[in-house]
Amino acid sequence: MSRIKPRMEVSIGKLKLQNPVMTASGTFGYGEEYAPYVDLNRLGAVIVKGISLEPRAGNPPPRIMETEGGMLNAIGLENVGVSVFIREKLPFLRNCSFPVIVNIFGESLDEYKRVAEILGQAKGVHALEVNISCPNVEKGGLVFGCDPDLCYEMTRAIKTVTDLPVIVKLTPNVTDIAALAVCCEAGGADAVSLINTLKGMSVDIEKRVPHLNRVTGGLSGPVVKPVALRMVWEVVKKVSIPVIGIGGIMTAEDALAFLIVGARAVQVGTANFINPRATMDILKGIEAYLIRHGMRDVNDIIGSLKESVE
Amino acid sequence: MPKFKKLHVGEILSNRELAEGHYLMSMALPAAFPEAAPGQFVLVRAKDRAFPFLGRPLGIYVQEKGKGESRIEILYRVVGRGSGVFALLKKGDRVDILGPLGQGFRPVRGRDRIVLVAGGIGIAPLAPLVRRLRQKRPAGATLDLYYGARRADLLIGLGALRKACSTIRIATDDGSRGFKGPVTGLFAGDLKHYPPERTVIYACGPHAMLKKMSELLERLPIPCQVSVEERMACGVGACLGCVIEAKGAGKPYKRVCKEGPVFDLNEIVWR
Repeated sequence: MSRIKPRMEVSIGKLKLQNPVMTASGTFGYGEEYAPYVDLNRLGAVIVKGISLEPRAGNPPPRIMETEGGMLNAIGLENVGVSVFIREKLPFLRNCSFPVIVNIFGESLDEYKRVAEILGQAKGVHALEVNISCPNVEKGGLVFGCDPDLCYEMTRAIKTVTDLPVIVKLTPNVTDIAALAVCCEAGGADAVSLINTLKGMSVDIEKRVPHLNRVTGGLSGPVVKPVALRMVWEVVKKVSIPVIGIGGIMTAEDALAFLIVGARAVQVGTANFINPRATMDILKGIEAYLIRHGMRDVNDIIGSLKESVE
Repeated sequence: MPKFKKLHVGEILSNRELAEGHYLMSMALPAAFPEAAPGQFVLVRAKDRAFPFLGRPLGIYVQEKGKGESRIEILYRVVGRGSGVFALLKKGDRVDILGPLGQGFRPVRGRDRIVLVAGGIGIAPLAPLVRRLRQKRPAGATLDLYYGARRADLLIGLGALRKACSTIRIATDDGSRGFKGPVTGLFAGDLKHYPPERTVIYACGPHAMLKKMSELLERLPIPCQVSVEERMACGVGACLGCVIEAKGAGKPYKRVCKEGPVFDLNEIVWR
């Protein structure tokens, strides 16, 4: 059996990644925090913590709570704001060899456009990932990502203000995620990534209060994997643009399941908290699997799910 | 890869209940495990178990480095399901250890009246500090420990503490030993005997205790460092889950795992 290292490069539109393993926004800071643990230059990409126009302080604590097989978070999108990001955080990332993908969000369509425009002009930013799981305060808090028209409008608006590749990150807290993915594709998205966290809650029964200060939070970790996998599979069937899989990926086996159902790449998030070297282990494991199955190229496995056991 | 930090695998040597609900876990670690400063912590996670999912931040109580191996002891209290799992670990069981993490206690120069205030399991990060201060304090400096617990049988490690401290004053909620009431009540009575320009205080205990300390010291220019705790996920400053509300210019929240767990008492907003 050939022991030649398989080709691991994947492309997400114009974006070329050296391998399909990326880190998820909000779980890897601005890159520097995990630099002592991981050779960052071996990653496919780093998706930076969500950036807004103005700095955000985030939610009061408690912001996190463990669950069975996962955790809830209500961080509150704390970030330094786009100006400080460009000035203080981007220089470190520019020295890295992977594409820098900046996650962005806002409270109104205009804010999203503004952040996208500013980052589109910043040296060292290679793509944007748009977090549409935010409430639109102009429309009474309706979440952008839950409305097909807003998904389309949002994507189209951002594509008009920047030439950067635009990945739209979808929320699973919807009835039909594939329908929303189709709207994003129609709006010009270069790719979609899913899932963001599932909305959940936990209660302290002795004190009779919620465990999180903000009551509800986003569920992540192994517990969400079956939902995420199913949603990626559904979306892959409905869009032609690349789909990036996120949700409970802890091991190479988990990552491979997402690639097999059709994800072009994966994001690793919560796993970093359990094992700071999770991304490296996953990368090695994908390579080992490909070698074991005599595959020369990771693209051979993408979308290779056989849907019938016959 | 020696170049990068990683999880270390600890092998449990012993795990004994010292007092009701209070355990001392001893584990062997690879020699490469770095030396921790007093006040630093580790994220501990039982290997091969689905629960608890996240590691638990625990202070390093004792650390010994030998040729070819390292040993640490962790003093902890069972407060919930996660720590409940730790209590079940036996000799030979393995844990994942991330660390040492965080900022430890900082020495303050030119102080010869050193005070430590411990509430309950708060003694855990203060004990290694006591040993370090005993070795490194200026000649003639006194080390006074104020140690409170719910009951006398929950006071831990008094023998070793007596050897290191100039004085120990005890408080128990039920009056079974020493002063009856919270340790802050005991300390409040002695506060006037400490000249502010000669004194430094290190404290660790429940949030309510540290809040009381901030009230006691509000008008006094006595430097006081506290060790706090908060639920943690990443432990390295990336996820922003473990923040505490902080005063002063700049961001309103600080990360307990990265800027802490040791803070200046008056850096924190005590609610």
